[in-house]
Amino acid sequence: MPQITGPTAPGVSRRQVLRWGGLAATAAALPGLTSCSSPSSASDGINTQLVHGATGGGLKDTLDPHFPVTMPDIARVRNLYEPLLRYTTDYEVEPALAESAEPNADGTQWTFRLRRGVTFHDGRPLQALDVKASIERMANPKKPASLLTDVAPLIDLPACRALDEHTYRIVLKEPHGMLDKVLAAYSLGIVPRDFNPARPIGTGPFKAMTFVPGRRSLFRRHDDYWDRKASVDALLILDFADDTAKVNALLAGQVHTIDNLPGYLAEGVERQGAHALISETGGWVPFTMRVDRAPFSDVRVRQAIRLIADRRQMIDQALSGYGRLANDLYGPFDPDYLGAQLPQREQDIDQAKALLRQAGRSDLQIELVTSTAVGAGGVESANLFVQHAAKAGVQVRLTKADPNVFYGDQYLSWDFAQDFWSTRLYLPQAIACALKTSPYNETHFTDPDFADLIAAARRSLDPARRRVLLQDAQRIEYERGGYLIWAFANQVDGYTDQVHGLVPAREQPCSAYRFNLVTLDRS
Amino acid sequence: MSAATQRSPRAAGRAALRQRTAARGWARWLVRRLLMALVTLGLVSVLVFVATSAVGDPVRAILGKDYAVSPERVAQIRDALHLDESLPQRYVLWLRGLLSGDPGTSVANGLPVRDLLGDQIANSVVLVLITTLVMVPLAVGLALLAGARRGGAVDHVISGITLALAGVPEFVTGILLVALLSTSVLHVLPAVTVLPPGAMIWDRPTSLILPVATLVIAVVPYLTRILRANLLEVLDSDYVELARLKGVPEREVLLRHAVPNTLVPTIQVTALQLAWLLGGVVLIEYLFNFPGIGAALVDSVRNSDFPMVQALCMLIAAAYVLVNLLADAASILLTPRARTEMAA
Repeated sequence: MPQITGPTAPGVSRRQVLRWGGLAATAAALPGLTSCSSPSSASDGINTQLVHGATGGGLKDTLDPHFPVTMPDIARVRNLYEPLLRYTTDYEVEPALAESAEPNADGTQWTFRLRRGVTFHDGRPLQALDVKASIERMANPKKPASLLTDVAPLIDLPACRALDEHTYRIVLKEPHGMLDKVLAAYSLGIVPRDFNPARPIGTGPFKAMTFVPGRRSLFRRHDDYWDRKASVDALLILDFADDTAKVNALLAGQVHTIDNLPGYLAEGVERQGAHALISETGGWVPFTMRVDRAPFSDVRVRQAIRLIADRRQMIDQALSGYGRLANDLYGPFDPDYLGAQLPQREQDIDQAKALLRQAGRSDLQIELVTSTAVGAGGVESANLFVQHAAKAGVQVRLTKADPNVFYGDQYLSWDFAQDFWSTRLYLPQAIACALKTSPYNETHFTDPDFADLIAAARRSLDPARRRVLLQDAQRIEYERGGYLIWAFANQVDGYTDQVHGLVPAREQPCSAYRFNLVTLDRS
Repeated sequence: MSAATQRSPRAAGRAALRQRTAARGWARWLVRRLLMALVTLGLVSVLVFVATSAVGDPVRAILGKDYAVSPERVAQIRDALHLDESLPQRYVLWLRGLLSGDPGTSVANGLPVRDLLGDQIANSVVLVLITTLVMVPLAVGLALLAGARRGGAVDHVISGITLALAGVPEFVTGILLVALLSTSVLHVLPAVTVLPPGAMIWDRPTSLILPVATLVIAVVPYLTRILRANLLEVLDSDYVELARLKGVPEREVLLRHAVPNTLVPTIQVTALQLAWLLGGVVLIEYLFNFPGIGAALVDSVRNSDFPMVQALCMLIAAAYVLVNLLADAASILLTPRARTEMAA
């Protein structure tokens, strides 16, 4: 098994990596010589190779299961590691490495029964002690995994233990009614107890062979995989910094799949023999208003801002039509989502003007800070908002900040800005962004009633009661929250004729990067 | 030497003396230019360092959305960048590393900058070299063709095409070439560069064709037009006129008298284009996913990977200085008057 280096393994020199890489690469005779040949070719047991073009990436790339940074990182993490439970393409939780997750009566202890017959990439069987080590790694209070920051402080690590070889129990300091749903996040993968990111071993459908940050990663099929084994022998993930290069590579047949096909190209690639895969996601790019500072401390101003936006035009122009109307609430795939039941906010300039007049802000002048860093649709929707605001007599000065500035010193303290979030359930999302203790509370929303409802919902083990609590919380955000949420984005990806088995996924691109489900025509 | 032995001993001595003074003049010139180059690079190093260190807190820039929630990584990066030292101290540390061949460690990746950049530098150099090998003969040939038949049909065609192409941005050319040869019309060349780890760009020669073609199309029209203008200027000069009056055939006039006199401007203009190629091929590298230093620089800037940005800036500056130095040396060697002045 060739070793792999990453940010945490400065001891391994790149030269070594390259040498090992060379071995594997000669094995995997790569595409590039002629574009008409299939991206896969035969030698050393690799007869079929799926080549995926991933968006972005760079030297920051990592194979650390718990800290993916870039899009290619997410694609890699999803194929190497697996969490205890996982989200289906419909964004529902299903068993993965754990066959069951059972809370005790008050939700302070969660018992996970592990699936038998699961092996790591190096052949060792999965055991409860591996889960224990993994939980300790991702709930480390000094460096919790990014999708566990809100729950990590609640876990009583010394009290958590393996009950037997296949049973593990998490003990919490406070009750949590949805721990199973939290732990199903893709970046909370289970790793062996002696895990070292320089030897990225997991239980996923593919095992790592070579990894060059910012360029490429080559994975082999994990033959002892417990779930549906991959049909291709190898998976090659290439980083693409540029959209044009990525699309060209797809059209030239150098890659089989790409994520984040620019929406305006979706029809174009169809004409040239490739296909667009369109998936509804729960991703959102909100406008964020600080509710603790004037002028947005006045709820009437916030309401006016929400009535100024022409959401449909934003979807048509900023998202090239690939989006669905949102109603200032997030978590559209949460079974308790309320946004569709409340009156849909639409552009209403008269009403907005009236509200501003009542607030004594008829001559409102504000600065809106945006950046390309918030992703597709961000800057475009900000530009549109400036035009919409002018109709209501609101003067908006648009500042387009460099990503480093936008997420620099002033991030989370802009008065009026934007941000981006991906698919999540309502409760974990609210805990991440709408409480006084939230790490990413851009709007500085600290409503005591709201906080009580969220705290009670988190403790609750009764779905019916939790539904009432969460919907009350959503009503509060709908009435006086600091977000203007205008749409949920649709994900657009591309794939060639040879590829079969991709289905729309609500969470992430290319069927949530589950490449073991993909089959490839031989050509 | 055989020429000298045939002359009288005195003449030989004079020749030797002249050679010695010429060599000394050369050495003096070279030393002066090298010192100037070093001073330039020193100034550049200060500028690069100050510019990359003075813009806000690099750690915040590096961690972005994660700054608030990862104090351990903050401490780690502050440590790696020696941020607790004063700016001059950091500069000295950095310069010392640079001079001893260790430009530091990438912040984004934790690996030595030297190891990360080696392949990229080699790939970029190969791209520029091949482009030069294609572009110089092509431009010189076209200029000769056009210049020799001034006002003729060939001249008009060449002038027309070069004028039209000179105005097209290189990424437009690149996109058109890709559409033509890789994705839409024909499918004969790879659209992007896909290199296995350990492989260098020359292991995938077909991947070089489109990037080289794009760069050649971007540079040759400009070069051709300048060379043609130079050639015409020489052809209109008195000494060429004299040669013609002496009955030297036109072909001879062109090749023996006119062309040698256009060499110096050719070298100077080519050097300028080369310098541009070395640092300015970013768009091309992005379009073809080419693993070179231009794309590495943009990636590093985007990641706020200061050690990488600093190393790359110094590298590109050094290449600029070197190319100009070589061009100047070649120009002097090829200019008889400059040679004698130096010897005197």
